[in-house]
Amino acid sequence: MPRHRPIFWQLLACILFLSGMTLQGAEPPRAVIAKALITEDAEEQSKLVASLAGNTDPLIRDLLTAWKEGTLFIFEAPAGLAGFTEGEKLAVTLTGEKDGEEKQGALRVDTAEVLKDGEGKAIRLLESDLSAAETDSNLRVAMKGVLDVFALSAADSVSRLKVVTQIGLDQDPGLLAALRAREKIEPDAGVRRAIRQSLAQIELKNEDAAIRIGAVKELGAMGSISSQDALKELVRNATAGDGTEVAATAALKAIATHVKWVNFYGTFFRGLSGGSVLLVVAIGLAITFGLMGVINMAHGELIVVGAYTTYVVQCVFGPGLALSPFGMKIALPGLNATGAALDSYFLVALPLSFLMAAAVGLALERGIIRFLYRRPLESLLATWGVSLVLQQLFRSVFGSNNVQVYSPSWLSGNWTVFDVILGWNRVFVIGFAILIIMGTWAILNKTPLGLLIRAVMQNRAMASCVGVRTERVNMLTFGFGSGLAGLAGAFLSQLGNVGPLLGQDYIVSAFMTVVVGGVGSLAGTVISALGIGVVDQSLQQILLNPVLGKILVLAGIILFLQWRPAGIFVTKSRSLEG
Amino acid sequence: MIIESQLKQRPFILAAEGVNKSFAGFQAIRDLSFYMDEGELRTVIGPNGAGKTTFLDLITGRTKPDTGTIEFDAKHELSRMNEYEIYRLGIGRKFQTPTVYTDHTVFENLLMSLEGSRGVFASLFSKVNGQQKDRIHDILKTINLSEKAEWKAGALAHGQKQWLEIGMLLAQNARLLLVDEPAAGMTDEETHRTGELLLSLAGKHSIIVIEHDMVFIRQIAAGRKVTVLHQGSVLCEGAVEAVQSNEKVIEVYLGRKHAH
Amino acid sequence: MKRAISRTEFLFIAITAFIVIVLLPALNAEGIISNFHLNLWGKYLCYSVLAISVDLLWGYTGLLSLGQALFFSLGGYMFGMYLMLVAGPFGQFAQSGQNPNGLPDFMVFLGHTVLPSFWRPFASFSFSTLMVVALPGLLALGFGYLAFRSRIKGVYFSILTQALTYGAALMFFSNDTVMGGNNGFTDFRYILGVDVRSASTQRWLFIASAVLLLGVYMLCKWLTGTKFGLVQRAVRDSETRVLFSGYAAANYKLFVFVLSSLIAALGGALYVPQVGIINPSEMTTEKSLEAVVWCAVGGRGTLVGPIVGAIGVNALKSWATRNCPDYWSFILGTIFILMVLFVPKGIVGGINDCSAWFTKWKKGREPDSTILEEITEPAASPSQS
Repeated sequence: MPRHRPIFWQLLACILFLSGMTLQGAEPPRAVIAKALITEDAEEQSKLVASLAGNTDPLIRDLLTAWKEGTLFIFEAPAGLAGFTEGEKLAVTLTGEKDGEEKQGALRVDTAEVLKDGEGKAIRLLESDLSAAETDSNLRVAMKGVLDVFALSAADSVSRLKVVTQIGLDQDPGLLAALRAREKIEPDAGVRRAIRQSLAQIELKNEDAAIRIGAVKELGAMGSISSQDALKELVRNATAGDGTEVAATAALKAIATHVKWVNFYGTFFRGLSGGSVLLVVAIGLAITFGLMGVINMAHGELIVVGAYTTYVVQCVFGPGLALSPFGMKIALPGLNATGAALDSYFLVALPLSFLMAAAVGLALERGIIRFLYRRPLESLLATWGVSLVLQQLFRSVFGSNNVQVYSPSWLSGNWTVFDVILGWNRVFVIGFAILIIMGTWAILNKTPLGLLIRAVMQNRAMASCVGVRTERVNMLTFGFGSGLAGLAGAFLSQLGNVGPLLGQDYIVSAFMTVVVGGVGSLAGTVISALGIGVVDQSLQQILLNPVLGKILVLAGIILFLQWRPAGIFVTKSRSLEG
Repeated sequence: MIIESQLKQRPFILAAEGVNKSFAGFQAIRDLSFYMDEGELRTVIGPNGAGKTTFLDLITGRTKPDTGTIEFDAKHELSRMNEYEIYRLGIGRKFQTPTVYTDHTVFENLLMSLEGSRGVFASLFSKVNGQQKDRIHDILKTINLSEKAEWKAGALAHGQKQWLEIGMLLAQNARLLLVDEPAAGMTDEETHRTGELLLSLAGKHSIIVIEHDMVFIRQIAAGRKVTVLHQGSVLCEGAVEAVQSNEKVIEVYLGRKHAH
Repeated sequence: MKRAISRTEFLFIAITAFIVIVLLPALNAEGIISNFHLNLWGKYLCYSVLAISVDLLWGYTGLLSLGQALFFSLGGYMFGMYLMLVAGPFGQFAQSGQNPNGLPDFMVFLGHTVLPSFWRPFASFSFSTLMVVALPGLLALGFGYLAFRSRIKGVYFSILTQALTYGAALMFFSNDTVMGGNNGFTDFRYILGVDVRSASTQRWLFIASAVLLLGVYMLCKWLTGTKFGLVQRAVRDSETRVLFSGYAAANYKLFVFVLSSLIAALGGALYVPQVGIINPSEMTTEKSLEAVVWCAVGGRGTLVGPIVGAIGVNALKSWATRNCPDYWSFILGTIFILMVLFVPKGIVGGINDCSAWFTKWKKGREPDSTILEEITEPAASPSQS
C-alpha cells in the first residue's frame, strides 16, 4: 500500500488542482455539492468535492458536515411526478415538523428552495423512503481536506494549531496551497512554526528528491517530534542513492536528541513542581522542627486545618455550607458569587488559612508543647495524640469523605515552551513555593520578630539574659510555623481533594525533607525539597513504577544520611549534643 | 619550649603537632603543639576560651582536628579514631561538669567503668567476681562513697559526683588521665584531698589536669611542668613559679587576676 | 546488678503463667470461657509481646522506634505466606477448577498462573517459621547498622523508622510485590494439617502466645539484669558518656534493635492465625505509635507495664469500638496526651513511685532520690563548653 499512495496522491493533486482552477467561480459551491451528491462515479464525486478546497464560503462547511453526518438525502423522482422525469435525482435536506404521516418538507440542496412538483406544490417526503447520501473513504478524505482549510482560518489560535498539526500528520498534498496561503497571513508565531513543520512534512512525499531532502533537513533542524514516524517511513522506503535516507537518518538523530532534552526538561520541571509541593508542606516544619526542635506529629493536621478553611471560604463565596458536627446543625449562608468574584475566594482563603492554622498551633503550643520542650520524644507522642483527636474532629465536622475544593479557572490549561508542556497548575505550584520561601526568609531576616526568633533558637539562655521573653518568642515562632502549614493546606486544596487524612500523606516526606536539608537551615530545606522532587520524578521516568521510585528515594535518603548524618547544611557548633 | 634532650629519650605518651580546629569561623585551637612524657603530671592553665576543653575533646575523639596529628604512645593516631576506641587505648576523661550515670547506682557506675571487655556479647554473660567487687570497694573507700554505694548517682551532691567520676577514672585504670577542673564545686578540704590523690597517681599514670584554682595548681604542680594555653596555642611552658612570673602570662591571664 | 528476680516476683509470675497457660485454656475446653473471649485474649497476648519489644527499645534504651508494627506485620506476613499456600488448593478458584496449580486466591485474581519463585519455599512450615525471624532480623540488622553507624539518634531515629515503615507499607500495598496488595492475606484454612479456625487449634495458638509472652518476659528480665542491661540504660540516659566509658553504643543499640524486631516478629506470627488476616494497614506508623501508647500507659522501663498497657488499652478499645466507635480516636488521643503530660511513667511507674514515696515518708529519713535525681538531671550530659 504505501508504495502506491504517493503516486495516487500525485495524480489526485494534479486533478484537483486543475479542476479547482476551472471550477472556481464558475459554479456556486452549492451547485457543485449538489452535483457531487447525485454523481454516481465515486472518483468524479471526490474530484468535485476537492475542487471546493480554498473556498471559504461557510455554506460549504455546513453542507459537507451534513453530508458526512448522513442528513443529506437523494430524492429519486417517482413515475408520474409532474415536472420531473422518472428516476431524476435531486439532493435534498428534510426540514420542519413531522406531520401525522411522519412526513417532512424538503429543501433542494442546489438552490436552497423548497422542493416542489411541476404544479408548484411542496413535496413532502418520508425519511425512511429516501436514501441518505453516502460517503466512501476517498470522499471523506477529500471532504476533510476542504474542511481543514476552513479550520485553518478559525478565530482562535489553539484550534488553528491543532488543525495545522493534523494536516502535517496526514501529509495531504492537496492542502499545500492552502497552508502556504495561510502562512503568509498567520499572525501567531507558534502556528506559523507549525505550518512550516506541516509543509515540510507534506513535502516528505514529494517526488523530487531535492525538495524531499530540503524538507527532511528542515524537520531535523526544527526537532520536529511529530515527524518521527513519517521520517522513519521515509528511511524504510527510500530508494538508494538519492540522499534521502542519509538526510532522514541524520534528521531522526537530531530529533531524538531534541526529544531527550524535552524529556529531560519536562522531568526536571515536574520534579521542580513536585519538590515545590514538598517544600511548601515542609517549610512550616522547617520552622517548628528545624528551628525549634519540636517534633509536631500534628503538623499534617494543621495543614488540613488550612485546607478545610479554604473549603469553607469557597463555600461561603459560593452556595453556602451546611454542617452537622456532633448532631448540631450549622448552616453558613453563601454569597452566591460567580466568575471572577468566585475565583477571588482564594485570595481571601489564603490569609484565613494561615490564621486558623496559626491559632490552632498557638493553642497546641500553650496547652501541650511548652511543657515538653526538654523532652522531644514525649512531645512527639503527645502531638500524635493531638493529631488523632484532630483527625476525628475533621471527620465529625466535615464527614469522612473527601470534599472537593473548586480551583480558580486560571489554574487549568497548559503553556508549551519548546515542546515542553508546562501545566499552569504546576507553574502555580512553583510560584507559590517561591513566594512562601521569600516571605519566610524576609520575616526571619528582615523583621524584629525574625531577629528575636533567631536569637532564641541560637541561644535560649543568652537571649533570656538580655531580656528577650523567650516564652513569647517560642509561642510566636510555633504559631508562625503552624500558619505556614495552614498555607500549605490552602495550596494542597488546589491540587486535589481535601479529606481528614490529607496531612498523613505528606507528613513522612515533610519530615524527611527537613532532616535531609539539615535541621535549622532554611536553605537546606529548599535544596533538599527540590532535590527529592527531581530525583523522585526522574526515578519515576526511568523505572515507570512510582512505588518503586518512592521506596528508592527513601532508601537513598537513608544512605545519604550515612554520608551526611546532619543533613546538607550542618549547623556547626561546639555543642556536641545538638 | 621543649627541652631538646627529652626528644630523644623515650617516646612521648602524647604528642600533638600542628593541630588546628575551628568552629563556625571561631579558631578554638591554633597551630597547637604539645608533648608529654609517660608518667608526667601536667597542669594546663589558661583564661576562658583558651581552648583547654577543646584540646581534651580533640584527644578523646569528641571532635576531630581540621589539621595536625595527635599521637598516643607513638603508635596510635588519635585523630583517626573514635571515642570508644581511644578510651580502649587507655585514655580516660573526667568532664568539666560531673558526668555520671544518674539513674545507675554508685556501684553500677563504677562497675561500668571497671577495666575489662566492652563487647556486647561479653556484657551479656559477664559476672561480677570477688576480685572486681574488692576493687570497687577499694575505690569507693578512696573516693569516700562507701556508704552510698547503693545510692543512685543522680542523688549525690555536686562534689560527690566529682569524686564518683574520679573514681570511674580510677576503675578504668587508664594510662593517660584527662582531668577537667576536678576541684570545681569541692570544699577546700576535698580539693586538697583530690590534689593528693592525683599526686599519688602521678608516675604510675600520665595525667593532664586543667584547673583555674591557683591554690590547687600550686599543690599539684609544684616542681612540675605547667602549660599555659592562650587563644588556642601554647603561650608558654615551664615550672609553675617560672610561668607565674612570665610577663606574657601575667598579661593575658594572671594579670587579670592580679587586677582584681 | 541486683538479683535477677525476687521471690515474690517469681511467685507472682508463676501463678500468672499458670492461670494463663493452663487454667484459661482448660476453662475454655470445658466451655466456661467462650471461644470468642479466649481468641480476644490471645490477641492481647500478642499485643503484649509487641509492647514489650517497644519497651525494650524505648523504655530501656531510649530508642523510640516507629517501625515495630512493621516487624510485627513482617513476622505475620512470613507466617501468612505458609498459611496462604496451604489454603490455596481449597480456595474458591480451586473449587471452580480455575486454579490447577493451587495458588493462593489473590494470585489467581491478579492473573498469575505460576507461583512466583520466592513463594515456593514457604510451602514448608519450618522454612516459614525461620523466615519469621530471619527477614525482620536481617532488615533490622541492615537498617540499624546504617542508622546507628551514622549516629542517628533521638527523634531522628524515630523519623527514619517512620520512613522505613512507610516505604515498606508502600511495597506491600503494591500488587507488583505479589504479597496480596491492599487486602493482604486472609481465608486461612489449615496449619500443620489441622483446621486453623477450629476451637482446639485456636486454643493451642493461645497457649503458644502465652508461652511466647512468658519466654519474652523472662528473656528481657534476664537481659535487663546483666551488665548489658546496665549499658543499655546508660545509653538511654547519656549516650555520649557511654562512648567515653569505652562502650560502642552503636553495637549495643543494634543488638537491642535486632532483638526487639525478632520479638515483635514472633508476636506477629502468632497474631495472624488468631485474627485470620494480615494486610498492609497493620504496618503503619500509627500502629507502631499505638504500641507506644500501650507502653506509655502501662509504664515504660518496666516489663509489667507494657503488658498492663497492651491489655488495658485494647480492652478499652474493644469496649469503645462497640459502644462509641466515633469517639475511639478522641479517647485514645486524649489518653495519650494526658499520660505524657501528667503520668510520664505510666500506671506501673506511677504505682512504684507512690509506693516508694510512701515507704520513704514512713521512714522519714534519707533524701528522696527520685526527686533529687530530677533536679540534678540536666547535669547528666557532658558539658558543652
